[in-house]
Amino acid sequence: MYRSLSKYLTFALSLALLTVVFAACDSNEPDDEGPGEEELITRVVLTLTGGGQTVTATANDPDGDGTNFQIDTINLTAGTTYTGSIELADDINGEDITEEIEEEDDEHQFFYTVGGGAAGRVTVTITDQDDDGLPVGLRFTVEVSAGDAASGTLRVILSHFDEGPKDGVNMSDETDVDVTFPVNIQ
Amino acid sequence: MSDSTFRRRTAWGVFPVLAVLLFCLPGVAHAQALEGQVRDSDRQPLLGVNVFIPALQRGAVTDEAGRYVIANLPAGMHTVEFRFIGFKTVTRTVTLAAERVTLDVTLEPEALELEEVVKVAEGPHAALNRATLSVSRLEPKDVEQLRGQTLAETLDHLPGVTTLTTGPSIAKPVIRGLHSQRVLVLNAGVPQEGQQWGGEHAPEIDPFAPVRIEVVRGAAGVEYGVGAIGGVIRLEPRELPTSPVLRGSVSMNGFSNNRQGSGSMLLESGLRALPGFGWRVQGSFRKAGASRTPDYVIGNSGFEELNGSVAVGYHNDRYGLDAYYSHFGTELGLFRGAHIGNFDDLQRAIERGEPNVQYDFSYSIDPPKQTVRHDLLTLRGHYVLGSGDRLEMQYGLQRNRRQEFDAHRRFGDPLDDPAFDLTLTTHTLDVKLKTKPRGSLFGVVGVSGMNQGNVNVESGYLIPNFRALTGGAYARATWVRGAWTVEAGTRFDYRWLKAFPRESRQEGFVRRTHSYASLSGVVGAIWQFAESWSMAANFGTAWRPPGVNELYNFGVHHGTAQFEVGNADIGGERSYNLDVTLRHVTDRARLEVSVFNNMMDGYIHLFPEPEPRVTIRGTFPSFRYVQTDALLRGFDGLVEYRVLDFLRLGVQASVVRGDDRAADESLIFMPADRLTLSTAFSLPDMGVLRASQVELEGRFVSRQTRFPEGVDYADPPDGYTLFSAGYRTELMWGTTPIQLSFSIENLFNTAYRDYLSRFRYFIDDPGRNVVLRLQIPLGLSDS
Repeated sequence: MYRSLSKYLTFALSLALLTVVFAACDSNEPDDEGPGEEELITRVVLTLTGGGQTVTATANDPDGDGTNFQIDTINLTAGTTYTGSIELADDINGEDITEEIEEEDDEHQFFYTVGGGAAGRVTVTITDQDDDGLPVGLRFTVEVSAGDAASGTLRVILSHFDEGPKDGVNMSDETDVDVTFPVNIQ
Repeated sequence: MSDSTFRRRTAWGVFPVLAVLLFCLPGVAHAQALEGQVRDSDRQPLLGVNVFIPALQRGAVTDEAGRYVIANLPAGMHTVEFRFIGFKTVTRTVTLAAERVTLDVTLEPEALELEEVVKVAEGPHAALNRATLSVSRLEPKDVEQLRGQTLAETLDHLPGVTTLTTGPSIAKPVIRGLHSQRVLVLNAGVPQEGQQWGGEHAPEIDPFAPVRIEVVRGAAGVEYGVGAIGGVIRLEPRELPTSPVLRGSVSMNGFSNNRQGSGSMLLESGLRALPGFGWRVQGSFRKAGASRTPDYVIGNSGFEELNGSVAVGYHNDRYGLDAYYSHFGTELGLFRGAHIGNFDDLQRAIERGEPNVQYDFSYSIDPPKQTVRHDLLTLRGHYVLGSGDRLEMQYGLQRNRRQEFDAHRRFGDPLDDPAFDLTLTTHTLDVKLKTKPRGSLFGVVGVSGMNQGNVNVESGYLIPNFRALTGGAYARATWVRGAWTVEAGTRFDYRWLKAFPRESRQEGFVRRTHSYASLSGVVGAIWQFAESWSMAANFGTAWRPPGVNELYNFGVHHGTAQFEVGNADIGGERSYNLDVTLRHVTDRARLEVSVFNNMMDGYIHLFPEPEPRVTIRGTFPSFRYVQTDALLRGFDGLVEYRVLDFLRLGVQASVVRGDDRAADESLIFMPADRLTLSTAFSLPDMGVLRASQVELEGRFVSRQTRFPEGVDYADPPDGYTLFSAGYRTELMWGTTPIQLSFSIENLFNTAYRDYLSRFRYFIDDPGRNVVLRLQIPLGLSDS
């Protein structure tokens, strides 16, 4: 009995030692082609058409973490009404997020807030609706009143509703997009 | 006295017990006495043996003739422990029905060398010489009274220990203001290696495991190696049985607040064919739904846990071999409302002060949630050399798999695709030589090594893949003479780390290596200056290398909407801890008070960056890991006094002050001062109910007024007072003593928020909880 237990002890400990020594030889190197990324939106593009011209403004975050974040200024003409649309993309994974929002429009809503010198001069009205008749915000109009040159901001927030239901008025606590474009009115 | 004569005595004792059970009236007088003689195997009387009845907290010490008397005991069956340094502890069950019952005992010499014995010896007076550093201990019996709760909640009852919670389903122990990577959890001798870096990562420990728990407060780097900078939680499985009688127990608990049901079963025995061999099998299950505060349900805060362990061991005079395997598995929900988008969302939620959705009670666990599996295998062996010294070896293998599921996922189903999925595999090997006492001196020398690898199974890469190799060597000596115990030790550790962080999303992964090396040291002394008083002092220095998260973390933490940035340039942090403890133990009173001064150089913490981080998702306050010099000071302790035979009063206090010495500011997230007052009334035995007790407790927690300005999103919450009440008893069902307890926590359903609740921005802590606990021993036919 004693002898066999001693043998077992020796064996178990040698095995343990070997495991420690050999496990150190692996690389643990990660695979660059590994499985997909976390949920990301890296680019937001506003397209406004009116007064015979098309204005586009892009907010771009190519790394998805703010490292190289860039945002364009929206140049608007006083006294013009534009038809607008918004597109979202994940360039890291090559995904079009706009489609996804269209499919899940009952769980999303865009909120457009005008600030600074543009407040009172620019009015954004959402023109599309989900199946419940609540606004979505992928399509909208931008009305710029006539007057002097001014500058301000347009803040775009995309709220995600998957717990509290969407009511068309309130934002959720879960923001997917929150970008503020500088606005120039000429 | 041999076991068999003892068994006969017990068998005869059953008749008087039955007689008492049949005829006894409420309020049986305390008239019985237990007496006897303790001798060694050469029939020589032993002086100074601690004879102790843990359930009653009563005891005596033997005189020159080895005799002892414990008078005024209640009738009934009692467990009596005989403890003496250098001898194996003997536990006997005795039935007191006659006026005087004699119980003679022979103690066998302990094969362990002195140092271990000092730790194991645990009579009323042995506690005086327990350790030079402040240590609290929960015996398996104490642990059982708190069973069904998490490890952190169990330890929350000890001085100097508080809890960091992330909703009702996650709790982490905090020792004197330090937690996570600064507290080492030693499970069956092996440092527990999980993803400990997150505040929302609870230690993977089965709350029903039959263990003795020791909490070492302060730096203990020499004994426990890298990481034991703030303290150590030691979980030591109870010794395996050697008698070939199959025994066990079944436990069942119910908790009203989250409608938690939990249960555990344990079986253990020796083998008639192989004396010295023992085995134990144990399993437990917990299932809880959403908790509720006094005003609302905390949505998605349930959990489900399934754990088990198997232990086998063989011991004889020369060697011993133990194998232990345990599995821990949990799935737990995180309060949905704490998963927010950006900083504005957080401010909206804080302003609202309560959830914006009315939740209903449910057992279902939806994303965001975590599933964690932790498997541990340890092999332990020891061999007593011809010289009498003892060689010990231990190997540990752990695999920790943590999956965290986000509230929603674009590529697939949030239920099936975790946002991140990490597997951490750790091998540890320890070899040490413990010398037998030579003169007044004994000691230990040892080497230990660890090999750890982390692999991301899914996307996310919050913590990069890495490989870490750690090695250390140490020596420690203890000198005991008369009223003095003096110890000193030193240790060297080296860590090599290879990590694969992602430099940027386009460039992909890069390979980075780091190495760290440093010394730990300890000097300490105990002076037993009077029969029931001792003073202990310990100065220790310990260090820890930076964690991988502190080096390479990069991303948004959605619970608190903060952007966390690792810092690959930081070095290790070091603690210089001075701890002085005063201890006093008599039959009636117990006092243990410690003061500490923990100076930390290179303390690693998150510091706000001047510019917030702007992303497509919005603006996030940005924090970066930096080092500073910190100072943690305070005191903690308890006083218990048996005012009358049936009335015990207790006071317990914990005070910590944490300061950033470089910035001359308070440290963030230091536990608020707290005071606990408790009283326990022993009730006379009534019918089948024995050893009954009514307990009342009040806990007073002040508001934390010391915090750095302008860093936190909300000021610390107000102080609070919680009361609890409990009744426990031993119900004799035939000869089977069933342990029964009924308690109400947060008696007045007080709405409160603790400063160390990570969800205090959004929700209150849970309200009233009625708890019922039942434990039935199986096959308790002999002692």
